[in-house]
Amino acid sequence: MEILVLIIPLVTSLLFWLSNNKKVLHYINIAGSALLLLLAVSVTGRFIMQGLDSLIFLSDLFYFDYLNLFMLDTIVIVSFLVSVYAVGYLNEEFEHGLIDIRKLKLYYSLTHVFIFTMVLVVSTQNLGLMWIAIEATTLASVFLVGFHNNKNAIEAAWKYIIICSVGIALALLGIVLLYISTVGLFGDPHNSLSWVFLYENALLLQGSVLKISFIFVLAGFGTKVGLVPMHTWLPDAHSQAPSPISALLSGVLLNSAMYGIIRVLVIINKNLGSNVYTGRMMMAIGLLSIAAAALFILPQKDYKRLLAYSSIEHMGIIAFALGIFSPLAVYGALFHMLNHAFTKSMLFLCTGNIFLKYKTREISKITGVLKILPVTGVVFLLGIFAIAGMPPFSVFASELNIIIASFEAGHYYQGAAFIILLALVFAGITSSMLKMFFANNVSEQVIHGEVNKSGTIVVVIMLCIIAVTGLYLPEQIGAFLSSAAAIVSGGM
Amino acid sequence: MEYYLDSLSLLILISSFVLVANKRINSYIRTFRLQSFLLVILAGVIGMENFFSEGSLEIIVIALLILVLKVFYIPRLLQNTVNKVEYKVEKDFFLNIPIGVLICCALVMLVYYSVSSVIPADTGHTRIYLVNSISVVLIGMFFMISRKKAIGQIIGFLVLENGIFTTAMLTANGMPIIIELGMFIDLLTAVMIMGGLVFKINENFESIDINKLRNLRG
Amino acid sequence: MANSVFYIIVQILVMVLLSPLIKGIIGKIKALSQKRQGPPLLQMYYDLYKLMKKDTVVSDTASWIFRITPYLTFTATLTASLFIPVTIYLAPLSFFGDIIMVIYLLALSRFFMTLAGLDTGSTFGGMGSSREMMISSLLEPALLVAVITVGLITGSGSVHGMMQAAAADSITVFQPSYLLTFMAIFIILIGEACRTPVDDPSTHLELTMVHEAMLLEYSGRYLALMELGAAVKELIFITLLANLYIPLEGLIEIASPALALAVSLVFYLLKVLVITVFIGLAEVFTVKLRLFSLPNLGALSFTLAFLGFVQHFMLGR
Repeated sequence: MEILVLIIPLVTSLLFWLSNNKKVLHYINIAGSALLLLLAVSVTGRFIMQGLDSLIFLSDLFYFDYLNLFMLDTIVIVSFLVSVYAVGYLNEEFEHGLIDIRKLKLYYSLTHVFIFTMVLVVSTQNLGLMWIAIEATTLASVFLVGFHNNKNAIEAAWKYIIICSVGIALALLGIVLLYISTVGLFGDPHNSLSWVFLYENALLLQGSVLKISFIFVLAGFGTKVGLVPMHTWLPDAHSQAPSPISALLSGVLLNSAMYGIIRVLVIINKNLGSNVYTGRMMMAIGLLSIAAAALFILPQKDYKRLLAYSSIEHMGIIAFALGIFSPLAVYGALFHMLNHAFTKSMLFLCTGNIFLKYKTREISKITGVLKILPVTGVVFLLGIFAIAGMPPFSVFASELNIIIASFEAGHYYQGAAFIILLALVFAGITSSMLKMFFANNVSEQVIHGEVNKSGTIVVVIMLCIIAVTGLYLPEQIGAFLSSAAAIVSGGM
Repeated sequence: MEYYLDSLSLLILISSFVLVANKRINSYIRTFRLQSFLLVILAGVIGMENFFSEGSLEIIVIALLILVLKVFYIPRLLQNTVNKVEYKVEKDFFLNIPIGVLICCALVMLVYYSVSSVIPADTGHTRIYLVNSISVVLIGMFFMISRKKAIGQIIGFLVLENGIFTTAMLTANGMPIIIELGMFIDLLTAVMIMGGLVFKINENFESIDINKLRNLRG
Repeated sequence: MANSVFYIIVQILVMVLLSPLIKGIIGKIKALSQKRQGPPLLQMYYDLYKLMKKDTVVSDTASWIFRITPYLTFTATLTASLFIPVTIYLAPLSFFGDIIMVIYLLALSRFFMTLAGLDTGSTFGGMGSSREMMISSLLEPALLVAVITVGLITGSGSVHGMMQAAAADSITVFQPSYLLTFMAIFIILIGEACRTPVDDPSTHLELTMVHEAMLLEYSGRYLALMELGAAVKELIFITLLANLYIPLEGLIEIASPALALAVSLVFYLLKVLVITVFIGLAEVFTVKLRLFSLPNLGALSFTLAFLGFVQHFMLGR
């Protein structure tokens, strides 16, 4: 039954080519993602209720445990919300003649293939297959990034595919080295890339080769996550892609790539016995990413690019937390992944509405959002504060967790630097973006009123989610997160 | 046996040097073809040995796959792309060739020192295989950054993958076959997508010079 | 002592008498490939004899360097050849690190040739000198690295020792790194002997002259000495290749030393013949490189030598 999680998005993406009717296409889109959501929730429910530890199916390749399910649920929920939004967004673009039926079909089809590859990343325990899936996410999303087919979009797509492919190839080298360190130790080589197997036998592996392997994996998957200095593709790709795709890229794809790092990190930490080696690297790269993001946010003129840099910052935060590696820090990291997914997607969807209305990506050309798009405006305003880390939103809660963990673990200087940098980013984001909201001289061409009804509802829902989870995390979800965190930090 | 593997890994390294020393796009594709052919021979030799000792055909299948994909199909695909995209015969590289070759020598030394500090000297030929293969990876990356035309970057990426494949093949008798198949599919798709993007770049920018792609900055 | 003197005599005789033949063989190969008859094999001997009888004309502006250079280069080259034995059966002049002596002697001769090219004040000479310097600056490091690698592989510090080791135990010596040094030294040979693709020995066009440009002002016995010196230099490198990489001496199992010496000399002639034919074929099948592409060739030979060096190191010896 679990295999349906993989089959549904794949089948959905093929169904699009059967019809030419716009409404039918929209229905297939929503139905597909809704079905996926229901399935994932039911699998999760069954998992929790039966008190399972892990779920393996289809010849040991596919695997679910708390960590997997957590990521899967995040991906599926965000995808569903984005799909609902996309209906309204694409309708608008269709009305304005920017896209035709063929492009619509291409968009939907590629999106669902993209979702399929991301689901594949988190539903396998074979590190090789995980690598293949992560590479596949890059390939599936290239043409989505270059969807608008103008100069900037093509440039962004080219940078995306080249830099990410090189990065992922380096990660492959890391995984090959990991495989090499198991050679000669185990009889059957087919097990050697299975995460469960590696986790159990982590102490038998060769430490020195694992160290080199980790460097390659961090550099490689770190490229896909957007850690500095491998981040150069991220602002371009996330700003040039259509807004729903940016939401997916920023919200869930970065998480999936980070998931890859986490899996390898756990094994290596278990083998080395302490996280000093990996921790130093992760913390350094995390702080570097936040600092670089803070620096680059200030002069930004394009609001989507600014949000992309904010994604880099948040991935840096997660890397920093994973560097600390205490149970609280890991909990904070996973919680942050969840919060960032919702908040960032919400923000990008709002920018979608703004782009539809104002037809420009420049901050200076946009004024009076609160007046013209009242609902979206409010959501966007609150969202900006949320992403910058203001209470009572959820991002604040997870960042607080991480700061506490950092000081508890004795990393005083790093914690202090962390706080300062976060403050800088807060200042940068708000000072750049706040100009957009208040009306000075609104141009007459811009018509009042919300533009994407279904989308607006979606973003409001997301806002409520992040507000609620910031204040009070339901017990079940908290327990779920804790179990997932236990898998990661259990090795210590 | 080990003598053959030694020589083959050395020849693969030399072929990547030859790649850096080339100046024209057609030569890039031909050198890549040569390197992939060496890879086929390598996989074939290891596969034969595997077959006679364990009776498994997996590596031979992989060797045949490389033959079909990397020696025939992908070079033909790239050649078609190059033929359709008009480009002027102009200087393609940032650094002149001798400096590039010397930098690659320095990269080999760098890899040698890194690997030596990790792997002790008496573990047979593992060290020499690792150094040669990882050098090919780094030389592929260097090739990518030292060329101005988009096709150069694709070929650099392919050489990088060749290097990784060599690492896996020489030190661990290749990855499990499902993974290898997945890698091939990924690689093929990636090259096809990159080829398609080169067309689009040519349409939009009137050339495939990467330096022209500079609109998004900061 | 007597052995050394005997050796010196044999070595010098072989070098001086054999080297003009090489030019003849290569010329014949090139001619045959173009379906011509070409000059006779002994052509260079006739040329040298003719030049010896002629007057020398020296420019007014030339200094003592111009007059001394032919003697100097010839002597230096012959002295260098003493360290590269044609056969390993004679007790040679050799010491640890003599290859560096050889390189320096060749550099000395090249230095004076360059000065002489500049000395007459003609533009051709200066141009040839600068080109020669550029080419040699690329090839010399490669030669050094290649020979040191060979020394490391064979475990000996003198060229004679290397040749002996190669002859004694060719199986272990012939590894990939050894073959890499062969390729490197072959490219260096082409460069030093001024053959295509580095330099065209039969041209007198300013676009393509390197070695010829420096000799342009010489005439008579000076020219004869310079030509002979260049031929001996070529033979030095061919000997290096022949004795290091085609070690047939292992097949000689004759007791009497005199007979062994004779047989080894015959083998040597055969080896030189083979390599010369090889060079000739290489000349036929390649074209002269653009001048600014020559650093590429130099870098190539350096890389090959360097890779051989690294590969040898990595095998953990």
